[in-house]
Amino acid sequence: MSQRTDAPSSAPQLFSSRRRLHLSPRYSRVASLASTVVVLGLFVAATFFAPGGVQFRHFFFDPHQMWASLLGNNRGLASVGKGIWTNIWMFCLCEVLVLILGLLLAWVRITTSAILAPLRMLATVYTDVFRGIPILLVFIIVGFGLSELNIGWISQQNPPFYGCMAITITYTAYVAEVYRAGLHSVPNGQILAARSLGLSEATTMRRVILPQAIRTVIPPLLNDFISMQKDTALVSILGITEAVQSAQINAAQSFNDSGLVVAALLFLCMTIPLTRFTDGLIDRDRARRLVAAR
Amino acid sequence: MRERVAGGVVHSEIINLLKGCIVRIIRLPLAGALVATVLVLTPASNALATSAPTLAQCQSTINSLEYHPGTLTAATDLTNGVYEPWFVNNKPSNGQGYEAAVVYGVAKELGITASHVNWVAEPFDASYTPGFKHFDFDINEISYTAERAKAVSFSTSYYNVTQSIVTLKTSKMVKAHSPSELKTYLYGDQIGTTGLSYIQNYIKPTRAARVYPTLQGALTALAVGQIDAVVLDTPDGQYAASAEVTNAQKKLIATQIGQFPSTGEHYGMLFAKNSKMVACVNTAIQALAANGTLAALQKKWLSIYNAVPSIRP
Amino acid sequence: MNVLTLDGVVKRFGSLEVLKGVSLTLDRHDVVCLIGASGSGKSTLLRCANLLESIGGGDIALFGQSLLDPRIDPDLVRRNIAMVFQSFNLFPHLNVVQNVMLGPVYALKRPAEEVRSEAMLLLERIGLRDRAEEYPDRLSGGQQQRVAIVRSLAMQPSLLLLDEVTSALDPTLVGEVLDLLRELAAEGTTMLLATHEMGFARDVATKVVFLDQGVIVEQGSPSHMFDTPTQAATQAFLARVRPN
Repeated sequence: MSQRTDAPSSAPQLFSSRRRLHLSPRYSRVASLASTVVVLGLFVAATFFAPGGVQFRHFFFDPHQMWASLLGNNRGLASVGKGIWTNIWMFCLCEVLVLILGLLLAWVRITTSAILAPLRMLATVYTDVFRGIPILLVFIIVGFGLSELNIGWISQQNPPFYGCMAITITYTAYVAEVYRAGLHSVPNGQILAARSLGLSEATTMRRVILPQAIRTVIPPLLNDFISMQKDTALVSILGITEAVQSAQINAAQSFNDSGLVVAALLFLCMTIPLTRFTDGLIDRDRARRLVAAR
Repeated sequence: MRERVAGGVVHSEIINLLKGCIVRIIRLPLAGALVATVLVLTPASNALATSAPTLAQCQSTINSLEYHPGTLTAATDLTNGVYEPWFVNNKPSNGQGYEAAVVYGVAKELGITASHVNWVAEPFDASYTPGFKHFDFDINEISYTAERAKAVSFSTSYYNVTQSIVTLKTSKMVKAHSPSELKTYLYGDQIGTTGLSYIQNYIKPTRAARVYPTLQGALTALAVGQIDAVVLDTPDGQYAASAEVTNAQKKLIATQIGQFPSTGEHYGMLFAKNSKMVACVNTAIQALAANGTLAALQKKWLSIYNAVPSIRP
Repeated sequence: MNVLTLDGVVKRFGSLEVLKGVSLTLDRHDVVCLIGASGSGKSTLLRCANLLESIGGGDIALFGQSLLDPRIDPDLVRRNIAMVFQSFNLFPHLNVVQNVMLGPVYALKRPAEEVRSEAMLLLERIGLRDRAEEYPDRLSGGQQQRVAIVRSLAMQPSLLLLDEVTSALDPTLVGEVLDLLRELAAEGTTMLLATHEMGFARDVATKVVFLDQGVIVEQGSPSHMFDTPTQAATQAFLARVRPN
């Protein structure tokens, strides 16, 4: 008997009772916009209709207080807008230092030279220690401890100097690990090929390994920089009046936290371009790889 | 009010700071120049309030005003600990210490027996936020400020606070602190404190004061020589100079060189906004001031503060 | 004068002895093919020859100079011995002509313009001049491997090491690479190859060396090795790779 006779006389059931929403691209956009509006609207409505909504909005979103906090005044309100410059210049300075020092540290960690063995061990200890200590403690130890040691020049610096130093010390450890992962991600064959062309170790690093590693490290590197931007707010513990500190001064002064919201917005202005840029790079890299894999 | 950490060595200052490094907002009372103008301070001027109830009226209605009718529920920061000379042995119910004694004095004026006074814990940071309160009043060296008074209600003054300067014993400020000389120093202070406002509004130094999230931070900066002086209210300054700021040999290295004239800053008991009990407590405080009880209690518990020399900004 | 002399070379990885005293000489214009099963030590031998691996015994000499001399700079040695790998190892961040230029410009410190015109000539020779500005991942495997060979030729080496350069290629692309190697052999390029291409070895090699478990079992002319091998191991190996 042939198998054919067992074939179903009618077409198999392909419709499930589970309904799936099929939307054209245009309607998808409309739908996503609508759901976004609804969700955001619920949040806003919550602040309007909650029992404490009025206080909440006054406490965090008082427009007058926000404006006054942004600019500061001569009646004791600090300027959050002025404070954010402290965050910005500290971030910019530290970023450059960290990029350079982190690379040096990573290099020390991946070299195999016997002469550098003690340095390598130190570098390992360094990254372990400073990735493990909360940055706030590094601020205190560096910011007050170095002054207390009283060892000349290094003990006579101002708090911003120590603040930058603490950020740099901590983030160098993080960034060195990012670099190291990136350097390790370059296949060994690349190094063999470069060395067999007679390129020195340094030239191989500079011309072959680094350019390839940089591409893989940029997204995680930018992630670290985003958190570094935020961590510049912690320098206030050393008596540096940056944006968040200014906002807290104002909150204490006026018993209203709208200044903190201003600081949050300014930080977002600083970090969002960077986060968008990072995501863009990640997407672009992914697209590139997909093309290459085709 | 702040944590009392005994025996701070300079480097243990840093360790203390490490311990307390979770940023505590505003642990010190605050007040600006505003406060001075807004405040109506003396018991005498309180008497001008037209609707002030009499003690007798209060004694008959107090039970109905209480959070737990029949019991006076008083709060203080038992969670973080309360200290001398305001309380003794972290035990308000023993009636020892200035603030404990004032509470039992107020209770007595209102006809509440000591056994009907109940103490509950209220962290300082939570005390002046708006909304529901699970006590009749909180007494915790909380300074009256106009801004706080928007969220909560305050009693009239049971203690007037002055600001004082703490510097290192080795500082030239010990000798040189004329009003013009005071402007030349680098000050540091905790965020949101009346001391910081005092620096900005009265001393007006040529260099902007450094602001720290904690008092411990400011005192550490003082100890390691990053700032010249800290301005803080006289009780806190007295404690800082007499117990906190020490060197590696546990020698005290700071000194409280003087206290400034009062700007009207005062401690008040804190109530839920528009609590109906405020008026009666004010009447009781007025009675305690009138019959000399407050003065006597201050002499008994707070004389160390009165001994600090006076200086001018 | 011998271009390369291996004298009793020993190489160990931990307790594993991969080369057990290998001796071999290459004269100018020699094309020596190393044959043998995977793991017989062919690749290791090539890597030892240009100092990518340190050796545990014996001696290696280039033009009569021992490479074990502590005054020897391995970078200078490698500028004279070029190497091509099974997996091409082109630099993916550089385009084709930059790949070819990298060695001469950054190792030999020669002027970029001069190097570029030479590189373009080399690319023209392998028919990839019009692909010079493209990146390696746009090229076929055979094209990539030819670029890799040209990249090592750009160093104008006195010796070319080739490590199973066709093994990673699609069979249809093997021919174009072998043709290039034939051309190079015909021009007299000194080469040491590890290879599985027996037909190529027979056509091109001046000497065929059979390596088995880190030992040279037999070596000789292609006709000797392929037609009248004397050692049982050689016969067995050749029977395996040439079933007919």
